[in-house]
Amino acid sequence: MKRISHIILREWKRIFSIPNFYAILLIIPPIIFLFYGLIYQKQFARELPMAVWDEDRSELSRTLTDMMEQDPNIRFTHTAVSNAEIETLMKEGKIFGAVHFPKNLEANAKRNAQSNVTLYTNGAYLVPAKMIYKGAAAIIIKGGLAVVLQKAQKQGMAAGMANTLVQPIRLNTTTLYNPDFNYQLYLTPGLITVGLQMALIVASVLILNIEFRRKTIGDLLQISHSASEIIMGKLLAHLTVSWILFFLVSLVVFPLFHLEKPTTDLNFFLLYTLMSLACIGIGLMVSAISDNLLFVTDLALFFTSPAFVFSGFTFPRWAMPWYDQFYADLMPYTHFLDGFIKIYFMELPLRYAESEIVKLLLFTGVTVPIAIVFFQRKLNHYLKNKTS
Amino acid sequence: MNTIRNILFREIRHVSKDASLFLIILLAPVLYAFMYGSIYLYKGEEKVRLALVDSDGSAVSRTLTDQLNTTPMIEIVPVSSLDKAREKMYHEDVQGFLYIPQNFEKDIFGLKQTDVNLVLNASRFLPSSDLLNTVTKVCLTVGAGVRKTYFNKQGMGEDEAMKMTNPINMDYRPLYNSGMTYGAFLLPGLLAIILQQTLLIGAAASFASEREGKRLPELFQMSGGRTSALIIGKAFFYFVVFMIFGFFFLTVNFSVLGIRIRGGGLDLAVLAALFISSIIILGMLIGSFFRSKLFTFQVMVFSSYPIFLVTGYSMPYQALPPAIQFFSDLLPTSPFLKAYISVVQAGGSLADNIPAIIHLVVLWLAFLVVLMWRIHYLKGKTIDDKN
Repeated sequence: MKRISHIILREWKRIFSIPNFYAILLIIPPIIFLFYGLIYQKQFARELPMAVWDEDRSELSRTLTDMMEQDPNIRFTHTAVSNAEIETLMKEGKIFGAVHFPKNLEANAKRNAQSNVTLYTNGAYLVPAKMIYKGAAAIIIKGGLAVVLQKAQKQGMAAGMANTLVQPIRLNTTTLYNPDFNYQLYLTPGLITVGLQMALIVASVLILNIEFRRKTIGDLLQISHSASEIIMGKLLAHLTVSWILFFLVSLVVFPLFHLEKPTTDLNFFLLYTLMSLACIGIGLMVSAISDNLLFVTDLALFFTSPAFVFSGFTFPRWAMPWYDQFYADLMPYTHFLDGFIKIYFMELPLRYAESEIVKLLLFTGVTVPIAIVFFQRKLNHYLKNKTS
Repeated sequence: MNTIRNILFREIRHVSKDASLFLIILLAPVLYAFMYGSIYLYKGEEKVRLALVDSDGSAVSRTLTDQLNTTPMIEIVPVSSLDKAREKMYHEDVQGFLYIPQNFEKDIFGLKQTDVNLVLNASRFLPSSDLLNTVTKVCLTVGAGVRKTYFNKQGMGEDEAMKMTNPINMDYRPLYNSGMTYGAFLLPGLLAIILQQTLLIGAAASFASEREGKRLPELFQMSGGRTSALIIGKAFFYFVVFMIFGFFFLTVNFSVLGIRIRGGGLDLAVLAALFISSIIILGMLIGSFFRSKLFTFQVMVFSSYPIFLVTGYSMPYQALPPAIQFFSDLLPTSPFLKAYISVVQAGGSLADNIPAIIHLVVLWLAFLVVLMWRIHYLKGKTIDDKN
């Protein structure tokens, strides 16, 4: 126990003095996290530029245009007179969508003839296209239904019955956990947690092999010859430093961007600790196997960079081919994120994240023993060479 | 010319002997392109699971359920109670649930408005927004069917009843991504970002390794004091390699992933040349501030997501705060992606994207001037250190 605490102390000193550790664990993460918070400070994509092509120039088309302009997602910045002009404006990146009111829209509505109102969006930019569709489509549909309502009432139908005819099935939607589809609430916590796993793995792949590179292994062996003691000490030292990052996130970054959920802090801490152990475990294993610092860093870079897209946060895993789903399962972040969504976003009790907890523990349970075996062999070899 | 050729050959030897540079510059772009690309092979999601509690159990409620189930987007999971539906959502077995109340059919036949309740888990945006859109569309379609049946019963013919049912029809045309799929939207930009990140990290690490290996004096000597020869010689290798990768992505990867290029090849080549040149210069400039290749790799790994997120590709540029917009303007990726997406996705031309091209050229020149100044400074420092 004394030897392990000695190793922890020694490792803390190293973390705070070697740039490959302190810059990656303590300097870059806060900068990146604040940056992520700033990106989504406006929370929504609002007032997206749009064009109107009004061939009717009637009261109805003007009313529909005004109603669309009231939508927070839409801002009419251009008028167009043809399909080609709409396409050119999109190619130039000046608009994300357009609406076309055909000639005789109002006259047709009055004399029982159908008209087509065309809504264009630039699907190459999915987020603005969806936002414009959401705002404009609802107004066009409402406009059509208002015409039905007026006609039904003119035919002497009672108001209640006319309303039913317009909308026989009323869909009541309750959107839980992020009702306004706020980008700050959605993406910032996810990006921050992926940054945490990146920092932990990128730093921890150097925990053991850097001792040989910096020729400090002799000092370490003066404390203990046991790989399990060394690894345990180093693991605990890095875990405690990872807690600094946790407190930075939960006490500074989240409150700064109004993302804090105090009731979830304890569960988040437990899940985060398990992810940290899994990440440090992977790092220790790689670090024990290879002494090539550049190779292990390349490996860490290759392993951690795609974690976010493979995790299923922005694009669901069930829509990926089976081999990508399998690869996603090999990353601790995937399981952390599944649990994080339940305990942080959905604010559920920890029991709902049981399967994720088991999977994260499995990472530590597999990687740490492998690291101990490989590192002990390396230490024995080193000691043998030294004595001979 | 000889000087540039010598520096170029030296760079080729340097990269081919250095396993980590070789990996990041020559292997990672292809590996990443196939790896990331395959995620979006099917372009979009289908069969999002939605629990259904049908308390009516009538023919009309079953019609509604069948209509939902036949859409490619929804897979209905019948459950017996709201509590069970909620539990399924909490375990993320389903992404939401729909409740059809008792008397649903009776109310509809009696021309009395009826409610259905949809509860969505919006902790992940894509499934919840896709579910909301599809359920809304199906409910509107079923509602229109009810209206049409009513008008038919009033003695109207098919054509007249249809016009009365839907006097203003919405014709929705999502241009350049007709299926509005996430994959078709993301893939072209993602491949460009892969090219950019591997090049940026590779160019930065290569320059940092010159400082680490104390090989800068040798490089200055080879260049005969001409900074421009030094930059061209070093950059030319990366330029050729990444232009080849760009061509490979646009032909092989685009074809494998089913992405159509709507614009002209020459326009894309000009854009790619400008973009790759500016990224090389930026990478060398960043690398000149590092003393260790290892540390360069460690730091640069954190740049991928922030760069991608501020380009205006995932979140519209207009929605970014002014400070972030300013940062975005300093990156060659922002104007490049704007012009590249216009050419690839929308069939635009260079003429449609003059401001973005000017922006890219200005950044390239600005980075070049700063890099020349930086190399000049390092040269002076090397001479001072020698003395």
